Amino acid sequence: MRKILILHSSDNVAVCLSEIIKGEIIEQDGKKFSALESIPRGHKIAIANIDLNEGIIKYGERMGHATSRINAGSHVHVHNVLGDRLASSDS
Amino acid sequence: MNISPLKAYLRPNGSWGLRNHVLVLPLHSALSSSARAIEEASQGAVAITHDWSGEIDADLERIISTLAGFASNPNNFATIFLTLDSPNERRIIERAESLGLPNVVHLSLADAGSMHKLVDVGILEADQLLTRALLQERIPAPWSAIVLGLECGGSDALSGITANPALGVASDMLVDLGATSILGETTEILGAEHLLAARAITPEVGVEIVNTVLRYESSINYEGIDLRGAQPSRGNIEGGLSTLEEKSLGAAKKAGNAVFTGVLEYAEVPSAHGLFFMDTPGHDIEQLTGFAAGHVNIVVFTSGRGTPTGSATMPVIKVATNTPMATSLKDLIDLNAGTIADGIESLSEVGNRIFNEIVAVANGKETKAERGGHHEFSLSRLYN
Amino acid sequence: MKMEGFDHGTRGIGVRDYQLILPSVVCSTHISRRIAKDVNAVTFSHQHGCGIIGADVAGIGDFFASLADHPNVSSVLVVSLGCETIQGQELAEKLVTKNASTKYQIIQDSGGVEATVTAGITAVRSLQESYPTKRRPLNDLRVGISASSNSSIANNLLEALSALDIYTELVGGKSPADSFSHLMEKKVHLILSFPTGDQPASGFPLIPVINIASDSALHQAISADFDVPAGTPVENIVKLILEVANGRETIAEINKSGEILAPRLVRST
Repeated sequence: MRKILILHSSDNVAVCLSEIIKGEIIEQDGKKFSALESIPRGHKIAIANIDLNEGIIKYGERMGHATSRINAGSHVHVHNVLGDRLASSDS
Repeated sequence: MNISPLKAYLRPNGSWGLRNHVLVLPLHSALSSSARAIEEASQGAVAITHDWSGEIDADLERIISTLAGFASNPNNFATIFLTLDSPNERRIIERAESLGLPNVVHLSLADAGSMHKLVDVGILEADQLLTRALLQERIPAPWSAIVLGLECGGSDALSGITANPALGVASDMLVDLGATSILGETTEILGAEHLLAARAITPEVGVEIVNTVLRYESSINYEGIDLRGAQPSRGNIEGGLSTLEEKSLGAAKKAGNAVFTGVLEYAEVPSAHGLFFMDTPGHDIEQLTGFAAGHVNIVVFTSGRGTPTGSATMPVIKVATNTPMATSLKDLIDLNAGTIADGIESLSEVGNRIFNEIVAVANGKETKAERGGHHEFSLSRLYN
Repeated sequence: MKMEGFDHGTRGIGVRDYQLILPSVVCSTHISRRIAKDVNAVTFSHQHGCGIIGADVAGIGDFFASLADHPNVSSVLVVSLGCETIQGQELAEKLVTKNASTKYQIIQDSGGVEATVTAGITAVRSLQESYPTKRRPLNDLRVGISASSNSSIANNLLEALSALDIYTELVGGKSPADSFSHLMEKKVHLILSFPTGDQPASGFPLIPVINIASDSALHQAISADFDVPAGTPVENIVKLILEVANGRETIAEINKSGEILAPRLVRST
């Protein structure tokens, strides 16, 4: 079974279809990287290195921006992502 | 294929009911407990309760449209209004009649003489109406009889991958056949409005979609409100959604790929068939109330976390986005779309299952929410 | 007149002995009602708990907390959906700090509707066993008055009650339901309500409400809903207050009329 789901070719994050354990090697859709941390099912994993303030792309669309540099294999969530609209900058 | 297998209740104004309810609707909050007492003692009437006490303020017109639209939903055979006989209450009843409500009973507290007597009269009226409702038969109905409401609540990161796009498949099939489908929740298309606008039937409708979102966004900004904690909600965040835009991109998948025919105000009844967007809050119950008031007669509600929510007038089909939740909350979930993430079923297979369930429920199959008697109600206010 | 109430620990001495089933969100109101019916507890429907923002998140949480902390309440079961803005568990934890006789049940963690109802009923029964009813003398009756501040009879009553050393609080909200909620937050044991001539008599699920009629056409038409006819002398009303405090049921209690209205400050999203 697939571990992660990449929804669009331009995405820099994928959805974890099952829980990912830290250190796990993910090899799928021509990409290979190791999980830098454990990630719950349904949460997002970076499939590319993402710079500070770079857009987070899911479904081929921008869903917010990185609030720190995010390395491939990292958990991508509210601790390192902020929406571009109606979101406060101090979280 | 295009011959409809539907059987429904034809209303005098040409609309179709998928249910034949007798609704008890208090038009003042103090009559809520009377409405509930009538529901409990009658042979099957449904009652709602709310917190409007006749206040005349900036939300008045929205409340009048909501209550009148809800009362006249085509799924209602009749509505029993409990009132203090005030001018605004009379306006609600007149509006409900003009929107096509076939059977109206108006019981005023003063005429009854006391709350106790109001309940007694209400039970008698309800049981008489229920007897008459049972005599009405379903007759063959066209596909256009269906007015589908698209709803999601308690979303998780699988919502946008499993249940929502599968519902989009079913919605597209119905719209193709001539039915109506309505997407709501302005909050939850914020960040995806450009994708929806690109599918609008005319440039004007596209502009209207974008403007509806902008109007919402500027009102929130203007009030200096911090949406954190509400959007995405804490449950959404636990489920893996990080931003409002991410939630919206997933939520918009419910509307499939059909062309947007128009934009509706909250509680507005569509005057044509096709796919619409209705300007509603993201609050699940206020949103369902707006759909019912807009004469939606069946709802599909996708959920990542699970919810017992139902409606007094519309059957609500609950679709789980993930298998663990569908398994643990069996008595409130009708269908599991988690099979898509499990690699067991394709999107179109689940889409077809949802379509078939909509047809079965339209023809009378009971949903889990109906079986459990869940019918929450909430008035939406913009000015509190 | 000597009064006897119910010992509700840190909540105080109540004039009624209610268990409260508190839905933390609109989505759990129906399940709360099913539990309440089975165990003869009090619950209410509301439209809050989710999609709320700004001041309302704290405001409605505080409102629920004051319901749970009311002297007429013996114990509380919070019923939560799980994913709402006001998290049932957190709410219950906040309430537990005020009072030990609080438990919670989360629908999304309980295995569905029937499982939540069953577990909820068990929880309420165990609260009943752990916190049995105890009668105690009541020395500090608190009476709330819902009336416009220029009502002369309400002002006469205020004076009469003060003379008896009874604590009073007068609120004139935008509707009786709104005033009752404010008076509940002031922890009054019972309420005297003077609805305006165009408003009906009404109750409040946790607090006995004595309805006093005006001479309006509506009130005359529904005189059976009122405990006190228009023009009743103050001393008779005071006597009724003491009787109701001692257990006599009001008409609103008999009719089970009235809802709890949680005040909202901000639009929903």
